[in-house]
Amino acid sequence: MRFILSFALLLGMSGALWAQHDGHRQPGGERGAWTTQPLLLLERGEDRASASLRLRGPTALLVTVFGPAGGERLFELIDDRAQIEVADAGIGNYHWLQVREEKPQHVGVAATVWYSSLAGPSPRRLLETRHSELEIVPAPLPREHANYRESEKWQFVVRYEGQPLAEQRLLLETEHGSRGTFVTDAQGVATVLFPRDFAGKPGRSGHGARPKAGFVLRTEHVDAGRHFVTTFNATYGEDVDRGSSLGWGAAFGVFGMLSALPLLRQRKRRVSKEQSC
Amino acid sequence: MLKSWIPSLGRLRLIVQLLMLFLCVYGAVFVGSYSADKLSRALPALSCAYDQMNGGYCVLIRAQHTLHHSIGMVIARAGEVTFSTLLPLLFIVGAFFAFFFVLGKAFCGWVCPLGTLQELVGRIGRRFGIGVRRIEPGDLWPVSRVRPVKWLLLVGLVFLLPLLTGLGLTPHALGNPYCDVCPARIATTLLSGNADQLALNLGNAWSFGLGALANWLIGFMLVGALALRLPFCRICPLLAFNAIFQRLSPARLSKPSRAKCGNCRICTDACPMDIPEISQGEGKKAYNEDCTLCGRCAEYCPQDDVIRIQWAKVNVFRSSRAYYKARVREALPDGTVKPAAKGQGDA
Repeated sequence: MRFILSFALLLGMSGALWAQHDGHRQPGGERGAWTTQPLLLLERGEDRASASLRLRGPTALLVTVFGPAGGERLFELIDDRAQIEVADAGIGNYHWLQVREEKPQHVGVAATVWYSSLAGPSPRRLLETRHSELEIVPAPLPREHANYRESEKWQFVVRYEGQPLAEQRLLLETEHGSRGTFVTDAQGVATVLFPRDFAGKPGRSGHGARPKAGFVLRTEHVDAGRHFVTTFNATYGEDVDRGSSLGWGAAFGVFGMLSALPLLRQRKRRVSKEQSC
Repeated sequence: MLKSWIPSLGRLRLIVQLLMLFLCVYGAVFVGSYSADKLSRALPALSCAYDQMNGGYCVLIRAQHTLHHSIGMVIARAGEVTFSTLLPLLFIVGAFFAFFFVLGKAFCGWVCPLGTLQELVGRIGRRFGIGVRRIEPGDLWPVSRVRPVKWLLLVGLVFLLPLLTGLGLTPHALGNPYCDVCPARIATTLLSGNADQLALNLGNAWSFGLGALANWLIGFMLVGALALRLPFCRICPLLAFNAIFQRLSPARLSKPSRAKCGNCRICTDACPMDIPEISQGEGKKAYNEDCTLCGRCAEYCPQDDVIRIQWAKVNVFRSSRAYYKARVREALPDGTVKPAAKGQGDA
């Protein structure tokens, strides 16, 4: 108990000033000069209901924000930048962001997700809703305290006109220069292995000061002479085992076990009372 | 048939505990990846948010996040607190209270996954004949030395440090310090096959220190629970949070009078929290802040109708000599299974 009290006092006495953190940012796209693919890059907004968006790549005048409660709002892009807000007032959680570039023979769509830390419904309906002809949809999105991370496998569904697209190629590019190709199965699901490419690379600190980097997935499809190209970009983090030690963790666990061993010593038993009552 | 499956309150509680443990740790497998959001609103105070397979988030992480990201940062930026700033925290407390209005402190004794794990370890200890150690004078320490710790953890780690971090006065690594030292974070993620939370962050001294303390606690808990019943529950800030509302809930322990009490102290012996007030006190004093409404004191009270578990004044369970005699044939009040009952006990 003395140890715990001392520890709590030590924590309470800490007065170090730290810079503002970037909150519980969920995987949404950020900076990018590392790819020729279109990117939707997010920065923290003034409050939990807003964010700053920057578009790299395609020419678009509007960005559409789809909310988890079914709402939909358009925001004007000025110099490829927009201040976006939640689609339904006061309702947060994951939002789907999308820009669209349409020509007679070509439809380009760039999408990402934005997490507003306001409370909101689960993104299940958001992800089931069809937002464009050709879509790359995370299945599922990372939950709280999770993120896309290097060395992990995450699944994405490729849909065309709302239907899963089998045998579809999905190209992956990462900010650290990795490239890969994945193919969807009969259910339209591609299992993407995030490359282990953080070693020695400068990263940006996210929540918990773990570096993150951007990635983009691209797929294309031709139907009735029209060429559809869709991208989905977000960020992924470094493997949790980088800069962490399972050995140290296990050592402190064993130390705790050893500390409890004195409790296992037998004490003098009192006379059992159930016989006397 | 039902009687053979559920012969006692203890067996019913074990079944409920195992079901809730399964929901808390693996619930998302059955109700979908995003169910935690929904379930957290319906059933706050469930499992660790670091467990990616769980069916709900613990209320303590939501409280820390709100104080850190919402209230603390808004105060730091604007220098003022408005109703809308406090609204998320009020919602959390409101949802928490709604949950505890129904269950009261039975959450701790019937639902909490970490409590269940400690009890399961304790059962192993009893099976191997490891004697029970108690928080009481003459054994370890008096309860008066242990009880303040949970309040200290609640105020310091759940409320104060996240708020100070939001204000920019303490390092970012202290944004959710209770979660960082909570052994449930490690226990439930390990149960879902994920050892990430056991690893310590070598890049930040605060993270390393808090993580090391959590690992020490889970190690201490796993071995200590073999002899000391519910070692972590005694300092758990959720028990303190819960105790704030315990008089408001219709679920409660009732010992109206000591007139018929035999002063045998068996109820305290049976209590996994070693609460002396249940045998020595009456009325409000008997329903102590450490009570988890597990019902063992009522099960092991050899006097008729002295100790009751009530919901809205209706007796859900009450002590009786006949029940006590049947119960004690299977297991002693401290949970030790009698030799003849081994293999069929459920203490």
